Amino acid sequence: MDLLTQWLGWMPNLAPGLVISLQLTGLALLIGFPFGLLLAVMAEAKFLPFQWISFGFVEIGRGLPALVLLYLLYFSLPDAGITLTSLTTAIIALSWNTGAYASEYFRAGLAAVPLGQKEAAITSGLTGWTGFRIVILPQALRISTPPLAGLAVLVFQGSALAFVIAVPELMSKAFEIGSITFEYLSVYTLTAVIYGSLTLVFLGLVRLLELRLGRHLLRN
Amino acid sequence: MGLSFGTKAPPTALSGEVEVSGLGKKYGVIEVLKDVNLSMAEGEVVSVIGPSGAGKSTFLRCLNYLEKPSSGTIAIGGARVVAGEKLPDKTSLDHLRRVTGMVFQSFNLFPHLTVMENITLPQRKVLGSSREQAEEVANQLLRRVGLPEKAKAYPARLSGGQQQRIAIARALALSPKVMLFDEPTSALDPEIGLEVLAVMRDLADEGMTMLVVTHEMHFARDVSDRIMVMGNGGVLEIGPSQQVMSEPQNERTRQFLKAVLDR
Amino acid sequence: MIMELLTSIARGVGLTLYVTGASLLIGGIIGLVLVGAARSPIGIIRGAATLYINIVRVIPPITWLFLIYFGLPQYALRLSTLQAAIVGFSIIASAFMAEIYRSGLLSIPDGQREAAHALGLGSITTVGHIITPQAFRVALPAIATYGIGLLKDSALASTIGVREITYYAQQSAKQTHEGLLSFVVAGALYIIISLVVALVARRVDLKLRRKIGVV
Repeated sequence: MDLLTQWLGWMPNLAPGLVISLQLTGLALLIGFPFGLLLAVMAEAKFLPFQWISFGFVEIGRGLPALVLLYLLYFSLPDAGITLTSLTTAIIALSWNTGAYASEYFRAGLAAVPLGQKEAAITSGLTGWTGFRIVILPQALRISTPPLAGLAVLVFQGSALAFVIAVPELMSKAFEIGSITFEYLSVYTLTAVIYGSLTLVFLGLVRLLELRLGRHLLRN
Repeated sequence: MGLSFGTKAPPTALSGEVEVSGLGKKYGVIEVLKDVNLSMAEGEVVSVIGPSGAGKSTFLRCLNYLEKPSSGTIAIGGARVVAGEKLPDKTSLDHLRRVTGMVFQSFNLFPHLTVMENITLPQRKVLGSSREQAEEVANQLLRRVGLPEKAKAYPARLSGGQQQRIAIARALALSPKVMLFDEPTSALDPEIGLEVLAVMRDLADEGMTMLVVTHEMHFARDVSDRIMVMGNGGVLEIGPSQQVMSEPQNERTRQFLKAVLDR
Repeated sequence: MIMELLTSIARGVGLTLYVTGASLLIGGIIGLVLVGAARSPIGIIRGAATLYINIVRVIPPITWLFLIYFGLPQYALRLSTLQAAIVGFSIIASAFMAEIYRSGLLSIPDGQREAAHALGLGSITTVGHIITPQAFRVALPAIATYGIGLLKDSALASTIGVREITYYAQQSAKQTHEGLLSFVVAGALYIIISLVVALVARRVDLKLRRKIGVV
């Protein structure tokens, strides 16, 4: 059988898997990025317990292999009486992992806003949360955006891990096809092509975003 | 010194230690060097002065092919190279670099090697000297530049002036026939620059042929035999140092000297 | 309980280190070839190296492992789980190491190469004695960081059955029903190894800097 026909024949099975991979990625980003920002702000808080909590979440989220974090939740949550679907477990694990890395980029972004901006905000009467929200945060976000976009691409690749706890995403679907047809090489090559080409598309978008942001900075 | 190299270059009618004729360099359509000619006798010291952007450094860097000139011929200490589209053959290029020693504005010592290794590595790799020979030469040169106690130090531990003196020693270790200096004191505080200039003055007194791109007008006047003034990629004038300094012939030279000396 | 878990899971430390170390070494060597090829004057070689680096990087590590472990036997190239893991991670590491070397090379000032040329040093001497030692020192912290990343990625080898830390943690979780503790122990082992690697790398880096007087 000709390779292309074979691949096209598998697509109806793989496509739903890809949709779940993308959902998983999207949700992990949607939860992970705000969580990362929260961790970053907590890390800078004057209230020490906030710093400790932030430190704990970041170190576990970054220090553990994503796979171990995933297994940790998968095997321990049911013992704690929490029963979740494997997809939900994967979303939590991936969001945690994403948040931990994102918090570092947010912190770097916050640190890069010149002290003068903070002073200007305060002297303009924009104190506390308001000043942070309308003066500091927008500038910090602009600095953090390129590395965060790069992280988003890695999260998409990381979503493949959900396979190990039987989330029916792309890798799982590929494995299914492989174990039925024994055409492992072909099906994993196709999977690699799908991951690779989508990653390239995302990387292209990241590049575009960087250019746009760069142009904006030039105009200022 | 009895150096003999198997260059394919034909014997030249030019007899000086340095004979540069018609040297030009273009970046695309921009001409940064235009028909530069220079002839130097053995043991002569020539300073190259002029406003920034005049092409002084480019001229110097073309002489040992750190930059590729577009036209002209370069003959130095027996090595001869004709500039063109292609790079000259490796033998002529090696010969050219062998007879020239270069000292950079930013010293460019190798930071991961000790002072001793900086001076011995090129000797061992280029001349094929043994470690003992190379170290003997290095020790002599270190005494000559006044830093015999720094042999084991790494460059980052030395002051800028000391680094530059080591860089001079490193270049001298290969017994070049002509030394090229590219603004050797520009990166140094004035009083630190003096210790480097003193080494250069000694070198000149010992009869080394030297071509020095510099902003040090005192050095240019007192140490060099002739001064070459460059502007807009060309030679504005060249003549005995005292004469160029006291009665410059070219209007642009007058303006340049006035601006520099009034500062 | 925790001691029992520790003794059984720690049996995987050896293979975790072996997979990580071997892949970093092999990938590091291939990476050197790649970075050389990426600077080749011949366009096709340059293009091939860049293509390889990009293809490797856009495919998830787990897909690489499955492609090699399940896919290659179809061509009668049957690898053991350990061999498959090392081959897979070496391929992945080679692309990342090539990028690390590249930025190390970029950090060497032009003046170093110019000085070497002006002294008449040949290109092999210049690369071998002047550029590479400096680039390596600059790249060392990045290599250590990548090594720690590879250590964590090596947990994926458990999915094809390599008996490393995560593999044993999974076994323990299933047998003892101490899921949380098993993976806390595994996680702690990874963090301890990472910290040791980071500490050693920092020491070596500092020592090299001190030696040449750049602190």
